[in-house]
Order: sequence, then C-alpha cells, then structure tokens
Amino acid sequence: MELLWVSLPLLGRGTLVTLMLASASVILATAIGVAGALIQLFAPAVLRWLIELYLYLVRGVPLLVLLFAMYYALPYAGIMVEPEVGGIVVIGAYFGAFMTEVFRAAVLAIPTSQWEAGRVIGLGTTRIMLDIIAPQALRIAGPPFINTCIMVVKGTSLVAIIGLADITYVGRQIVERTLAPFIIFGAVAFVYFVICYLLSRIGRRLEERLDHAQ
Amino acid sequence: MHSDRIGAGSGISIRGVSKWFGEHQVLREVSTEVKPGEAVVVIGPSGSGKTTLLRCVNLLEEFQQGEIEIDGEAMGYVSGPDGSRRRRPNQDVARMRTQVGMVFQSFNLFPHMSALRNVALGPVKALGVPRAEAEAMALSLLERVGLRDKADALPGRLSGGQQQRVAIARALAMRPKAMLFDEVTSALDPELVGEVLDVMRQLVDEGMTMLIVTHEMGFARAFAHRVLFMANGEIIEQGAPARLFEQPQTPRLQTFLARFRQGHQL
Repeated sequence: MELLWVSLPLLGRGTLVTLMLASASVILATAIGVAGALIQLFAPAVLRWLIELYLYLVRGVPLLVLLFAMYYALPYAGIMVEPEVGGIVVIGAYFGAFMTEVFRAAVLAIPTSQWEAGRVIGLGTTRIMLDIIAPQALRIAGPPFINTCIMVVKGTSLVAIIGLADITYVGRQIVERTLAPFIIFGAVAFVYFVICYLLSRIGRRLEERLDHAQ
Repeated sequence: MHSDRIGAGSGISIRGVSKWFGEHQVLREVSTEVKPGEAVVVIGPSGSGKTTLLRCVNLLEEFQQGEIEIDGEAMGYVSGPDGSRRRRPNQDVARMRTQVGMVFQSFNLFPHMSALRNVALGPVKALGVPRAEAEAMALSLLERVGLRDKADALPGRLSGGQQQRVAIARALAMRPKAMLFDEVTSALDPELVGEVLDVMRQLVDEGMTMLIVTHEMGFARAFAHRVLFMANGEIIEQGAPARLFEQPQTPRLQTFLARFRQGHQL
C-alpha cells in the first residue's frame, strides 16, 4: 500500500499525460470526422474517393503499426516528429476515420423528408444542414461519438511503446523497479476505468437529456 | 381578422410536363391551369403520378419536358427561343419555392423545434423577417389553426392532426401565392382527418390557390372547384366535382369510382 502512496505523484503525472493526449486526439479526431463526413456527403467525387481511400487505409492497419511507422519509419525519410505531436496526429487520424463514419451515418439517418421540408420553405443546403439536419444528427451521433472517445482514451496507452510517459508507460517503469505489477497495474487499470466510466456516464446523461427533448 | 390574413393566391400553370424515372415515364405531357383562388383536387389510383406532379410544381422532382409557372414566373426551367431548356440557378429555385407552400403526407415537422419555431423558421431564415415579427406572425397562424396553446410544444408531443395543422401553418407563414397538399390526411387516424380538412376548407373560402392530392372524395366533392382524374401519368378527365362524380365520362374513371364506392360511402 505504501508503494502505491509513493508512486502517486508519478502515476498522477502519467494520468495527466494520458488525459492531455486523449483530449488532443479526441479534438483532432472529431475535427477530421466532421470534415471527412461533410466531404463524403457533399464534395465532388474526387475528394470523396480520397476520403474513402483514407478510411480504408486507416481501418485496415492496426494503430500500433501506424505508431511504429511514424516513430521508426518517418526518420528514415528524413522527417523528424516529436513523439507527442506524432502520437496525437497518428491517434487523431486513426480515430478520425471512425469519427467520419459516426458523423456520416448520423446525417444519413435523418430522413430525406426533413431536407424536403427545408427546401419547400426556400432554404438552401447550408441553412438546412445547420438549422435542421445537424441538430438532429448530433443527437444520433452522441452515443457512438462517446464510444469512439472511449476507444481513443484506451488507444493512447499504445504511445507508451514509443516512449511517451503516459500512465501505462509510468506504470511499467514503476513495476520494473519495484516488481509489484499487481498493485501498480491495478492502479493504472483503475485510472483508465475511471476516465472511461465518466465518459460513459456523460454519454448516458446526454442521451437521456436528448431523449427527453424528442 | 388578423393583419396577416391570407390574401388571394395566384395561378399555377402546368404545360406539357413529362417526367421519366429512368425508362419509366411517370408523367405524360400533363397540362392544366390552376387559376388564382381556385382549389383543384387531383384524384387517381396510386402510381398514377399525382403526387409526382405535385412535387414537380415546386421542383422536389425534376422534370424532363414542359414548363411550370407560378404567377407567371417559370419554376425550375426556362426555355429559350431556340427551344433549348435550361434549369434555373438553385438560388432562383429557392426563392420561387418560398412562394409555394407545401404540406406533406407525413407532416415532416422539424422534431427538435417547438411548433412556434417550426412555423417561424422559414420567414426568419429564408425571407429575413426579424425574429420577433416572425414569431408574432407564427403565433397568430397557430391561432388560426387552433393551436395557439401548443406553440411551445415539440412535434412529438402533438397528435397527428395537430402536427399536420402546424405544418399547414408553417407553409402559410411564407405567405405563399399557392399551396400544395400531398395526401395530407392519409397518415391520420380517421377521427383526426376532420380537423385538418376544416383548416383546408377555410383556406378555400379565403381564396387560396390550391392544388390538392387526396383520397378524401367527400372533401373533393364538397369544396373543390375542379377535380382532375389522373391515371398512368395522364390527366384522363377533369371537370366540376358534381359532374365528375355523377357522370364520369371515361371507363377508367367509372371503374375507379366504382372501386372506391365499394370501400367507402360517398
């Protein structure tokens, strides 16, 4: 127990790094997701194909492999990336593909009759999107969005492998010195659990609130 | 009455409109004039093209031949002197649409907005009416359709009949020159049909130009100025309701009415 007490500051710092990585990645993934979805829905064919290609690439390659590629392969190409920045970019881009699907599916879930109801009162595509479709689509996107955020949080644990001092990395270092894997990894798991549990709760609350509004 | 009393509408002119879905022709050179203040009801079996015709009037459906004019202005397509046909820019189409109200079978209210906001949205966002003014007008329109007390209700809290009346108010809020009704009572429980028809009757009385697709033969007979019978994408027969229902000239209409009478009391 004392070991845990002593380790707290380190674990705390690791937690902060994890939170920072996760929030930055969620923001990036969401931005990519919204942009990707809009392109898939409205842009000319060439752009749509590009996004499609990106979706297939990212979905077909494990996140860990992408992180390795960024960390080990890019330097050979003469591109040096800070692991923090690289980690966020890779995780953000990876989950951005999933977010693209989340937002695209949500918009497609709104019946075309809603578009028509907007058209017949003289609204253009942008206005209909902003005032009529988006508010309803975001409601639908809520649960899968939270789900993807949880995947992002857990996905950040992979950056330990490229040397970022997130909670997983810190935990492993402490274990290597103290040989007390049970309690330390227990604590690490607990931190992930709390973050993800809170996210789930927020998601549930959001769902209830929005349901009520229906 | 209110200052926003619905004024007399103006005409819809449909000339030689043909439309294909792929190979399948759904409208065959349909022509008719809806005169200002006239209420025209379109009847016919399902698949006869009546809903498609209605949707062509405000260009929810593109059509490949012919012209439609609202109050003398081309809706959607203009023909050059050399016979070439070109689609008007989206902005023009959007502006034209503000002049034609449309009410759908399935109401299509915006579920995340109160009844009041549903009605006020078009005036505010498409016509640039100041919000306060638009909401005051929306409130008096809701009063007209008997739903002033439901102004703050979300559509999900309203009955089908109430939703449809809000939808009519939403269309009227644009101060349209003409109104299109697409089987607006077909999705309603029988006991809710009357409240919607009452509102439509009021509009007929006030001289709104109306093109109405419906299966409510009773309404057609009592309140339409003229009835069109469509089958296979063509207008087969048309005339005053009494004449059309009592002395159908074509076998096609005779069969249709006979079948209809089997199911309903007319």
